[in-house]
This record gives sequence, structure tokens and C-alpha cells, in this order.
Amino acid sequence: MKLSLRWLQRHVDLQGLEPQRILADLTMSTAEIEGLERFGEGLECLVVGHVRKCDRHPDADKLSVCQVDLGEAGGVLQIVCGAPNVAAGQRVVVIKPGDVLPAKGAKGPLKIKVGRIRGVESHGMICSEAELGLSDAADGILVLPADTPIGARFVDVLHVQDWVFEIDNKSINHRPDLWGHYGFARELAAIYGRELQPAVVPVAFPVEGRRVEVVIDDREACPRYCGLCIDGVVAGPSPHELRWQLAAVGQRAVSLPVDLTNYVMLDLGQPMHAFDARHVGQGPVRIRRARAGESITTLDGQRRALSADDLLVCAGTKPEALAGVMGGAGTMVAADTTSLFLESANFRAAVVRRTSMRLGLRTDASARFEKAQDPANAELAVHHFVGLLQKYCPTARPAGPLVDPAGCRYEPRRILLRRARLAQKLGLELEDPRVIAILESLEFGVTVVDAGFEVAVPSFRATKDIAIEDDLVEEVGRMFRYDNIPERPLRGVVEPPPRNEELFLQRRLVEVACTDLGCHEVYNYSFVPDAVVAACGAADHAYVRVANPTAPEQARIRRHVLPSLLASAQPNLRLAAEVRLCERGKGYHAEMADEHRLPHEVHELAFVWSRRDGAHPFGELREAIASLLLRLGYPAELQRVWHGKDQPWVHPQRAVAVDRDGSPVGYVAHLHPGVARAMALPASTAIACLDVRALLANGRRIARYAPVPTFPPLPVDVALLVDERAQVAPVAEFLRTVGRKLVRAVELFEVYRGERLPAGKKSLNFTVTLGAEDRTLTDEDEAKYLGKVREQAAAIGAELRG
Amino acid sequence: MDTTARREQWLREVAAAADAAALAALETRLLGPKGEVQELVRSVTSLPKEERPAFGKAANGVKLDVEAALQQRREQFAQQALAAELAAGDFDPTEPGPRPARGTLHPITLVQNELVDLFTSMGFQWEDGPEVESEYFNFDALNIPGDHPARESQDTFWLEPHPGLGRNLLRTHTSPVQVRTMQRLTRHGFHPPLKVIVPGRCFRSETVDKTHEHTFYQMEGLVVDRDVSTANLIHTMKTCLRVILERDVQVRLRPGFFPFVEPGFELDVNCPFCGGKGCPVCKQSGWIEILPCGMVHPHVLREGGIDPEVHTGFAFGMGLQRVVMLRYGIDDIRQFMGGDLRFLRQFPEVTR
Repeated sequence: MKLSLRWLQRHVDLQGLEPQRILADLTMSTAEIEGLERFGEGLECLVVGHVRKCDRHPDADKLSVCQVDLGEAGGVLQIVCGAPNVAAGQRVVVIKPGDVLPAKGAKGPLKIKVGRIRGVESHGMICSEAELGLSDAADGILVLPADTPIGARFVDVLHVQDWVFEIDNKSINHRPDLWGHYGFARELAAIYGRELQPAVVPVAFPVEGRRVEVVIDDREACPRYCGLCIDGVVAGPSPHELRWQLAAVGQRAVSLPVDLTNYVMLDLGQPMHAFDARHVGQGPVRIRRARAGESITTLDGQRRALSADDLLVCAGTKPEALAGVMGGAGTMVAADTTSLFLESANFRAAVVRRTSMRLGLRTDASARFEKAQDPANAELAVHHFVGLLQKYCPTARPAGPLVDPAGCRYEPRRILLRRARLAQKLGLELEDPRVIAILESLEFGVTVVDAGFEVAVPSFRATKDIAIEDDLVEEVGRMFRYDNIPERPLRGVVEPPPRNEELFLQRRLVEVACTDLGCHEVYNYSFVPDAVVAACGAADHAYVRVANPTAPEQARIRRHVLPSLLASAQPNLRLAAEVRLCERGKGYHAEMADEHRLPHEVHELAFVWSRRDGAHPFGELREAIASLLLRLGYPAELQRVWHGKDQPWVHPQRAVAVDRDGSPVGYVAHLHPGVARAMALPASTAIACLDVRALLANGRRIARYAPVPTFPPLPVDVALLVDERAQVAPVAEFLRTVGRKLVRAVELFEVYRGERLPAGKKSLNFTVTLGAEDRTLTDEDEAKYLGKVREQAAAIGAELRG
Repeated sequence: MDTTARREQWLREVAAAADAAALAALETRLLGPKGEVQELVRSVTSLPKEERPAFGKAANGVKLDVEAALQQRREQFAQQALAAELAAGDFDPTEPGPRPARGTLHPITLVQNELVDLFTSMGFQWEDGPEVESEYFNFDALNIPGDHPARESQDTFWLEPHPGLGRNLLRTHTSPVQVRTMQRLTRHGFHPPLKVIVPGRCFRSETVDKTHEHTFYQMEGLVVDRDVSTANLIHTMKTCLRVILERDVQVRLRPGFFPFVEPGFELDVNCPFCGGKGCPVCKQSGWIEILPCGMVHPHVLREGGIDPEVHTGFAFGMGLQRVVMLRYGIDDIRQFMGGDLRFLRQFPEVTR
């Protein structure tokens, strides 16, 4: 919303205050000001001229050659002018050669030069309002009153320049009273301790005369409706001062009655609607809910189907306006309108909001009503409108009494503000007079009582804004200014905070994965595109879905992290031969609900290691995961074949579970080759996933000390010829048991497959480390161990080589 | 045999050895198992008994002399080799070695971890909450009832109904964790003080461009205790911002409206780019809006099972992307969720 400084000045004297200071003080006490602009910037060079002579151009019918007298500002200039309304004797606005007309809209600044137009020299330009950026009236030059002094600066004789504040609308969402200039004037009066002028001078309405009955069917939705018939209206353009005032705050001028409804709305925050009385006829005006199947064509020409929630303003039975949102097509004032039916009503915020949201129709009126306007304003606005209308159009007069069936009886809400509460929340004790002065400056009524202050809330703050004691704490705090509160450290017992183990474990897992294992941490959206779940073979699973996605690929919420991570591997593999990615994230399973009827949530850490060529990284990833878990104190077994039931991207054979004490907490696997193909990933892609909560379930294991061996180790190389299908673990276990207590470690260093071996066989080559606690082992011990291996190998279908 | 002549001969040969390898060969020839010096020493057995002591003594003397000469010559060669190595000019300081795998943490993770460390050091507990959230926790519990305009301004992603599930949404802020945490604790008989931070992912239905994201990161903070006041909030926030921004900050507190706090504030810091004089970054105001905050609304405390007459609190929320972008000079918010290694590799640090 825009605020004009000139407009504010009508309500409160702001002499001596720089606009920058007002901006800063409003920001610190009331609302956020987003910007400050000069309206009419650059118009200082324009001067008032007198058209002494105006002749037809010898070579062009539509041009005139004028002799314009600028008096002391430049003597008489010859100017060629194309405006149809230029005439001798007029006072006009002139820009001289060498001066620059400021930029407006998309047009850049225009430097005026002496020129020749169809052979006649022209020394400057007579300006239209549009050229001055004051309105969009471009069909003729601006003609000033006949008594305007010749040679004066335009900006000195006509009050056009202004300062305009741009308010951040979000910061006044809770303040219905700030949706007009008067509300801000009240704040400024409080901030600077200056006097606030009354908003409105009351007008006397006739007791008898023409009236249109108003029937409010739903008082809940429409607490108040004021209607007034006005005759003698001339619906011509508004005078300059009104048009320019509206232009300064970005409101387009239409015609005097419409401009005045806008002016009153921008002043008091009260939206109004001026109907051409012919549309309302004999009435009655009825405010009722729409019926199913009903529709209305609004001012913007759109036909809108209505629901039973919408509120209508009807003339007789015919809907004439969507209450609080927009008038009906054709109800507006036209050029030949002479009688008005003026509506100034109060509609319930929730009703207006619902209709405006459902129809996607936001208007200045709906924006104000949905903030919960004060019903008292409805009547004030009528007085304001009529007063202004009579000022600009003396023939206008109320045709009858103000019709106001609901009226307005506001009994001020009283709230106790305790001194103790004020001190508790602000952290500061304030003197009584200070508190009273602040509250009274904002028009609260204050009575001092034992505990503090009994505060009467004025109607314009009572609709939603001030409801509880703490709301009054804010009023005092902001006017005292929060910046004036001295800071104080928190006090209390110092204890280590309770530790959320899961969050710390997750954090360390990612840190170690990235620093030790060389992973790059990726963040993916929680949405997973249809193409990705299809490629992963998981399109049929139950997904949580967004009802109002911004794009089709943002409708599904992911169940698992891995598919998204696979999708981010592919583009990176175009730039690097190998990638190691990890991602920590949440997944949601729609088919399972928790105590709050929310979908089941999984916390995962996923890995994708992929290389375009070369050895499959599965083995490396498995070792990496094993050492990662060891590093964090969660050692696990990674040997059991795992079948990922609901995770179809896992290879059905080549996958191991990550087991802790026999229960799985994740898996390491080859990517399913079908999925690899569908996602254009290399066959040598390994994946892994850890369920962080499951990992935590079996607790952290702290390392145990074992005495360091006193006698040296004896490494023995053992090569065993086994069947191609034989697994490493049982063979290693055999080598361990055969040597009894002498075996310290068994480590596979090679799996050999070659021509020198019989078909269908492979050689598992181990280093077995022997050692004793009481002596140094000898060649004899080695021979003895190998002898036992040779004898017993057949039991596991193996044969000692060499 | 003439031990003297042999001795002279051998010592000459030792002196004449051209290099360390020749010296080693010579040593084997002279002192090896069948070496010439050894032969000389052993030849004592072939002499008559009476000559043996004198010869033996002389032969051993020769052996010791030869050994000493060899040792000395070896040392000479070692010195020469050392000198040569030290004088070598073939060192290339730019030749790369094999590189360890070098991973990276996401820049948001880096900043988040740093903030978590800071706040936990101040006694805050680190908590988390679901990203798929109920209407109750995201709105109603936070004093944002059904027809409140604030709901609309939050551009909520609502979720489709599903059997067994309630009316759910993607959380629009981390604030629902305020009431979640209070409820969880008070249900088990807990009483304040309570100090919590909740960093996490939030969602608002926006079209993504260089400065807008529908997925963003916030960090919520909540302090509840007896007589916690605005004065405490100012002090705590100032302390934190000093650490986060690594400078002595000036802050200003001005009114801001959020339904779950009363009073509500916007906290600004003096602009780091112009020092408060006014520049395009701070829109000429000299201040940068960084931290919405406020005194917890009594409704919120009651929903959390805490008596707002006895306890008061303050809460704050910080946009993490904004802090990350300020710190690293990132100008395109889309990079965070883009998964592009050319972006992610640019942040090789670990948490400070």
C-alpha cells in the first residue's frame, strides 16, 4: 500500500519532519516501510505560460502555432502544439528547450530541443497530464485556472509534488485500521505527540425523502449495511487535486463519484460502492447468501458461478454485487449518471476471504474486508463521501435519510494490563504515566487500578487485533520502542542439554562419509518425479501426494532417498568418470499412519557409487560402509544376502544386509541392472542405504582393550582351491578354527581365477597370521598348521594348493 | 708370507676403489667367507708352532687395518652421496602426488552444523520434526486458525487425502516443532527451562527462480523459562549473531507480525556491505532483515502444556540459505538443490 505525505498532513501536522525520519520512525514503531519515492520528481523546470495567440499551422490542419508568454521565466516563445483543446487566453504548462521531461513508465526522459515542425520553428512544448506523469489523460493539454500567475514554476503554484511511502502489506495484515491514511496519521500523531484532526466532519442527512430499504438476511456475514440515495450528481472527471492525489498513491482516476469512493477507502480503509441508482431501482437491497447454481457477471466481465458460501448484494432479487469483493457488471456509475445509491457496509472477514480465495479474485475491497474492518467506519465513510462530493460537485445532495438497519453499538472491550505482566514480557519496568500516555495517544481508554491498568479498546482496534493482555504489551513496547529496552543475559542453571542421539549420529555419519570416504553430500527435493519412480520400478507403491503441486514432477513425496540420488548421479557422470554421492533425507510411506495420522517417516542415509568403466564399486562401497559404521561405534556384519522387497532398484542376488546383532539396518548392493539401463547409469553402480533409527536401536559399542601381543606374529600364506560357487566366509572360518588359539587373523588378499586351475574352480588366497602368547613361533608351527589345513580341507570341499 | 707387503697392497686397493659398489665388491673379495684377508688369517695353521703367535698377531693387525680402511672409505662415499643428493636440482614442487578421495559437505550442512555447535554450547538442545506435518501443528497450535490470512500468505503445499491419514501438509516453517517438543516433554512431567533449536527443511509453493525456492531451510529457536523477556531475547540474539557473522554487530528490533508470538519482532543487523551508510543490498536503509522473532504467544504455550502465566518464552526463526548465500557469495538459490558436483565441490571445508 502507498501512503502520501501530503495526504497524511491533512490529518496530522508533520511540519519539520523529514520523510526519511518518518520512514525510520514508522518502521521502528508501526510497520515496515519498503520504499520512499518522490512523486512529481523532475517537474521543477516546468513553468506556467499564457497562450497569447493561437493560429492554425499553415501546412497542417491539426497543428496550431502558439505564441506563449512565460513572463519573467522566458518571454514569449513560439510553440507548435498538436492538442485539439489549445486556445488563446489559456494558462498552460510549458517546458522550454534545454529542459528535460522526466521518465515515466517504459518511456525514458525526453530532452526538449528547438525544432521545426512542417517548416515552422517550435521553441518548447505545451504539456498534457500524461506527459507530466500525473494521469493517463493524453487527449489534450493541461489547462490551468485562469488566475494562475504567468512565469511561475508549475510545482510552486499547484500542489503536485509529494513523498510516497510504500508499506509492506504483510506487516499490516493484522491491523485493519492501517489500511488507510487515517490509521497511519493516528500512529504518527502518537509517535510525535501531535494532535490528530477528526477523520470526518459529519454531514446532516434529511429525515424525509427517497430511501431504498435494506434487508440483511445474514447478520453474521454482514454486521452492518449503510445505504444512501444521492441526487444531483455530475459524473464528470474529478478536479486536478483529487486526480493527482490518487495518482500519487497509484490509483487511476475514473470519474468523480468513483474517485471519491476510492479516496474514502484509501483514507479510512472502508471500501464503498457507488451504484447508479437506476440499477437499484425501488429495491429493496437485500444481502443474502448465494443459492446453488446462481451466478453473477462481475465488473471485469467475468461470469462467475457461485456457491452457497458467497454473499450477494441484490436489488430486489437480482444479484448486483459480490459482497465485499466486486460489483456486478453495469452497476457502476456511467457518464450520464445523476443519482447514486451509495453502499458503505461491513462484511465478515472470513466470508469475504473465502469467496475471494475460491474465485481467485483479489480486490482492494476484499483485501481490506478480510482484515476485519471496524463496523463503525461504515457510517463515517458515508459522511466523508458526501462532504467531499458536495465540495467538488455543489449540486449533489442526499435524497433521503441514511438507511442503516443494523446500526452499530460498540461497547468497548476492557482488558486488564498488569504492571507485572508488562515487566515480565518486556524485561523492563515502566512508570505509570509513561504507559498511560502511550495507550492514550493510541486512543485507548485507561483507568489505573491496583494491579495496573484497565484498558478500553477503541472499536477500530477491537475487530481482531487487540484481544488479550499481551496485545497491549505490544502497544506499549512498540511505542516505547523495543530498541530502548536494555539487553539482559538469560539466567539459569547451566547443564548440558539433553542430547538427541539420532541427530548427532546422522551428522557424524555424513561428516565421516564425506571426509573419510570421499562422498559428496547432495540435497534433493522431497518430491520425486514420476519418470524416476517408473525407472526404479516403484511407480505402483503408495505415495503421499501434493494436492496443489506447482509442477507435475512435484506431486509425489519420496518414500526413499535412493531413487532421487540415482537421478542426480546421471548428469554428474557426464562430467566425471566416477562419482561418490551421499544424501541424508526423509521418506514417507502413505500406507502407514502414526499417532497424529501422519504418514510413517523413515530417516535414511543413501549412497550411490558409480563409475563409467572399470571394476564394480560394490566391494569398495561395502568396505566403506563397514568402516564408516566402525568409525562411529556401530560395527555391523555385511555378509548376509538381502532381498529388497519394496526397493526394486536393489539387485535381487547381489545385495547384502547391514546387520547389527542379527537385525538389518540397511543394505549394500549392486544397482539392479534393469534400473541402471532405465536410468542411463553404468552397470558398475553400487548403492547403499542405512536406516538411521534402526542403526541406533542396538546401541553404540565402545571399543574394548586387548593386551598387545608380546611375541611376534608369523604370517603364513594359504591358497585353497575351491568350487567357483564357494563363499569366502566359511573358508576363512575354517582356517581360523583349524589353527585354534594360534590364529590371530585371517585375511583374503586375492581371489585367483585362471587357466592353470581346473574348470569351475577358483583359488582363495589368504594370509593367516599365527601367533602365541607365550613363545615365538617357528617354521615347525607353520608346517604343523599347513599340515592340518591339508588334512581337513576336504571337509569343506577345498584343497590346499602348492 | 709378507704380511707388510700384502697390507700395503690391500690398503692401496681400498684407497683406489672408484665408488661404493667397487668398494663393496672389494670388501667381499677381502673379507668375505673365502676372502683374501681371511685366508691370510687362517694360513696361520700351516706354520710351525713357534711362528704362529707372531704371525697371528701381525695377520690380525692387517685385518683390523683393512677393516678400518674400508670403513673409512665407505664413510667417504656416503658423505659424497649425501652431498650429491643435497645438491640435486631435480625437485619439482608442482608435481602432484596421488590424491586421497576428497568429499564435500553440502554448504547448508556446513552452516547448520556451525549453528548447532554454537547453540548447543549455549545449552540449547537440538531437535527435529517431520516435514510432512499436520494442519494442527503447522497452523492451529500456532494460533493460526482456519480463516487466518497468514495461512494464505504461507503458500502451503497441501497433501491429498489418504485412508488413515489426517489433513496434512508440507510444513511451511520449523515452528510446529515448538509445540511438538513442548508437548512431548510436558507429557512426561517436564517443566521449563527449555531451550531448543530446530534446523530443518520447509516448503512453500513458489515458482523456482534465481532468488526463490519452494524448498528451503530454516532454523527455529525456542526458550521458555520463568520471566524470560524481550530484554533476554535481545541479548541472546545479539550474542549469536556476533558469532555467526564473525563481527561486532549492531541490531535493531522493530515490530513484526507473526500469529504465534506476541509481541512479534523483526530483528535487523547493520548492513555488512556498507556498514550502515546505505547500499543496494540493504536497499539504502543501512539494515538487513535477518531474524524474525518474538515473545511466544500464550496460546502456543498452552497448546504445549505450559502455563503462560508462570512461564514466558521467546522464539526466533532464521533462513539458513540466506546466511549461506551471504557467507559464500552465492547468487543463485537453485544451486542448493541442484545436485551439481561443480557447485558442491566448491566447499571443501569441514565444520569450523
